[in-house]
Amino acid sequence: MTAPSDEIKQLRPELWETINERYPGSMITKTDFVPLARLSKLLSQTRLTFVSSAGIQPRGSMPFDVVHPVGDFSFRRVPSALSVSDLEIHQIKYPTTGALRDLNVIFPIERLQELAAEGLIGELTPNFFSFIGYQMDPEHFEQTLAEDIADAVVSDGAEAALLCPA
Amino acid sequence: MQRAIERRGVPTVSMTVALDVTEHCKPPRSVFLPFMMGHHFGVPFHRELQLRIILAALDHLIKTERSGEIHLFPMTWAQVRQEGKVLEAEL
Repeated sequence: MTAPSDEIKQLRPELWETINERYPGSMITKTDFVPLARLSKLLSQTRLTFVSSAGIQPRGSMPFDVVHPVGDFSFRRVPSALSVSDLEIHQIKYPTTGALRDLNVIFPIERLQELAAEGLIGELTPNFFSFIGYQMDPEHFEQTLAEDIADAVVSDGAEAALLCPA
Repeated sequence: MQRAIERRGVPTVSMTVALDVTEHCKPPRSVFLPFMMGHHFGVPFHRELQLRIILAALDHLIKTERSGEIHLFPMTWAQVRQEGKVLEAEL
């Protein structure tokens, strides 16, 4: 018989196992750290991009496939000059109660525009980058979408990147 | 993905509400916010808090010395929600 104190101790590691059992192979585990890149300029001179897995996309663009059993490995460019009313959410795997009232709680496009206008950030890249999380094939994700977005971020002239995995 | 961007020479910082997942995938820099999923930048209409969270991330972007450092944002979800309620009552 398990003592109550042992059950409590088991809660966190068992929770992790449960996630892996429900979504086999969905979690990425790394054993090393990548070398840090460094800012080459002051933040006030730096071009910043934003990358989000919240499924935010311009109205009228091809919706993400939110019910695909493995995942949608495509991404959308979101022009950084758009307003919140130009955007919509296509993802069902996280609570959107806050975002539906103020998108900035998950996709802070207005705050980033303000920081750039105030000069605290040098400027924003022409586009932000958007995809959906809940990918069930992390190896394929790393080989395709992760590399595709990294290339796109560089092509857009980003000198720093803020990321928000929803 | 963050690691792929960093490897291309672009410094990165990410926001996380899942500390265990972040510890597993080891991004170069991250900020942990103990908030509800989907609310990484706080609560609706709390502009000042949203800015504070972004600035905490950008500060971490500049100050991180070793790859993998996680900055713990010094507010609880309960505090953030309370501020949001007060703010909305005034709107």
